[in-house]
Amino acid sequence: MSTKDLTIGFVGNPNCGKTTLFNAYTGANLKVANWPGVTVEKKEGAMRFHDENYRLVDLPGTYSLTSYTMEETVTRQYILSDDVDVIVDVADASALERNLYLTLQLIELGKPVVLALNMMDIVQERGMEIDLHRLPEMLGIPCVPVSARKKTGLEILIHTVAHHKDKALGEKIIHHHDPEDSRHEGAEEHHKMYAMVYSDEIEDKIDEIADLFKKEYPNIKNLRWHAIKILENDQELREKYPLDFSGILDKDYEKEMINQKFGFVEEVIAECVVNKNKKAQSTDKTDRILTHPVLGLPVFLLIMAGVFFLTFTVGDWLKGYFEVALEWITGAVAGGLTNFGVHEMLISLITDGIIAGVGGILTFLPNIFILFLALAFLEDSGYMARVAYVMDGIMGKIGLSGRAFLPMLLGFGCTVPAVMASRVLENRADRMKTILITPFMSCSARLPVYVLFSSLFFGDKAMIAAFSMYVLGLCVAILAAYVMKLLDKEKESSMLLIELPEYKTPNAHTIRVYVWEKVKDYLSKAGTTIFLASIVMWVVMNVGPHGFTADMDASFGAIIGKILVPFFTPIGLGYWQIVLALISGIAAKEVVVSSCTVLFGIGNVTTRAGMSSLSALLESMGFGALNAYVLMVFCLLYVPCMAAVATIRRETGSWKWTGAMAVFQIATAWVVSFVIFQIGGLF
Amino acid sequence: MTLYEGQKGGSFRVVRMDLPVQTERRLEVLGMLEGTAVTVVNRKKKGAMVINIRGTRFAVGQSITERIEVEKV
Repeated sequence: MSTKDLTIGFVGNPNCGKTTLFNAYTGANLKVANWPGVTVEKKEGAMRFHDENYRLVDLPGTYSLTSYTMEETVTRQYILSDDVDVIVDVADASALERNLYLTLQLIELGKPVVLALNMMDIVQERGMEIDLHRLPEMLGIPCVPVSARKKTGLEILIHTVAHHKDKALGEKIIHHHDPEDSRHEGAEEHHKMYAMVYSDEIEDKIDEIADLFKKEYPNIKNLRWHAIKILENDQELREKYPLDFSGILDKDYEKEMINQKFGFVEEVIAECVVNKNKKAQSTDKTDRILTHPVLGLPVFLLIMAGVFFLTFTVGDWLKGYFEVALEWITGAVAGGLTNFGVHEMLISLITDGIIAGVGGILTFLPNIFILFLALAFLEDSGYMARVAYVMDGIMGKIGLSGRAFLPMLLGFGCTVPAVMASRVLENRADRMKTILITPFMSCSARLPVYVLFSSLFFGDKAMIAAFSMYVLGLCVAILAAYVMKLLDKEKESSMLLIELPEYKTPNAHTIRVYVWEKVKDYLSKAGTTIFLASIVMWVVMNVGPHGFTADMDASFGAIIGKILVPFFTPIGLGYWQIVLALISGIAAKEVVVSSCTVLFGIGNVTTRAGMSSLSALLESMGFGALNAYVLMVFCLLYVPCMAAVATIRRETGSWKWTGAMAVFQIATAWVVSFVIFQIGGLF
Repeated sequence: MTLYEGQKGGSFRVVRMDLPVQTERRLEVLGMLEGTAVTVVNRKKKGAMVINIRGTRFAVGQSITERIEVEKV
């Protein structure tokens, strides 16, 4: 047959099971990238069927093909490009009425479309029936019943696609609405050719615009679609084809056209779907508890506590083994390299720099894995959408979407997965805001710093001092969100509008693909950045003006620390060792503790003797309880660790933004520390 | 009355929407048009509600429901 592989684009509403269907064909063997220039994911897979190669592209879920959102624009541009041969429109057959609106738009595009009626198992379960003979007659495209979850109808669908690939228009369309009522020229032809025929007034306009197009742009293939889009006042096309439509576009037709499309959808549903009112009883029952006006919130908090518990107890337990393994590897590598007579500088670079840096990131893998496993369950079961509803009121007060609560909470554990979890927010502005405030939630790596300094200086009030950090972090986060809300004048409040899908048992395959994606992503992307950053950090700490040095005092780090002392003096941290410890803390917050021990030359700081000698040393330098408290505050608020920064860079897709955020955080840390130090100094 | 005032379990018909064009279009492509039947599935005492349009449930915030004029059916 053809020499070129057939490319199939999967399009459909959100929650129609499109990704499950796509995964059923491609398995976990996916190529995931972003669409050029936007942060919308593009998934590509391949499969073979009857000795033919097929390239499958999963397009973002969308309700329509206008160009209001990033997802819509991406989908539309891709479908219009020559790249795609056949469109598979995946529809949730149990909610056909809503799904058919997109189908009508896809048909209008003029490319071969096959309708995949997904979730047929649910349709049958509920006692609904779909007339599979009448439906293709009315739409003019093949309609194939499938179930992505039960894996039925998959072969037939691909078979249909293979046969339908050259047919842009359906063979015959039979409607019961009578073209004889219409005075529009060629109405009878229209009704045979196009599934969607508008009112006479609109059809006249479409013809007028099409004529104008034909004159100016004779090479346009799907004239009717272009005319329809111009009539809908589509901005992208208006700009692309700057013709004078002023005589034709005398009013806003878009609304009327949407209306008429839904009118036709209702006609199709009335003729093709039997027992459409059979409701999903189980979803309503579950929602009675999960979205209960009073119980909804505590139930959500309980679920979150469960996720939190799993991520950071089971995760940390596994993490312990990873750390042991890492230590063993470090030892083995160092030993091996020494035996081979490798230069001590190189050994230090590999073990203290690369293995410590990259390995340190790898130890978070169990946490990441468990977190995303839990998230995949919540997402695939349909609960995640409910979170937005349950938390809407509370989060709305600080100008954040209800779903932003999840990343913020996870931030108490570790900023890295928390920032990654901000993906559950569909709106980019919301996502950015959430990423900005998430690092203020005190992560578990900061705890060792609090423990050390509060037990050094606060005696039996150590617990309170450490706990106050968590409260302070939360307050700063809320305040920052609130200030952003005040600054953001144009949007009065984020308008909640989100589909609540039916609850379903999570699909093992979908979850596996989802978790594997995230883990792979974490390993490859964070890993590469961390790899480079670890080397840079090592160089700063171990190389000085006179070359490699084991003495940190003579390193570039020390020089930088000394230069920065004046900046830290107003907040009571004007000691170069402290400054350097804070800088090294960017590698990982726990490092602040280990750096302090190295810099102050204390052997074992966690023992009673080590602690008292460190506190005596610090106090002889004039570093007292207030300074220690400010140090804790600064640790809490300044730039998160390298892994978190790398993740933020990944998620925001912008160095500029990431840099601005780092500056903002340092500024916040400095200002808050300054206020505390100066006011504290008065007493 | 506005949709926001609708009680849980009530069925309504959309009379008029007075929303920013973008939000209105979003609702329209979801099938919420003038004349569309809407049921309130669930609601909070103050704030968001869950509505059913054409067989699909949506969570909708107060800032939207306040500006949708409906009549009881």
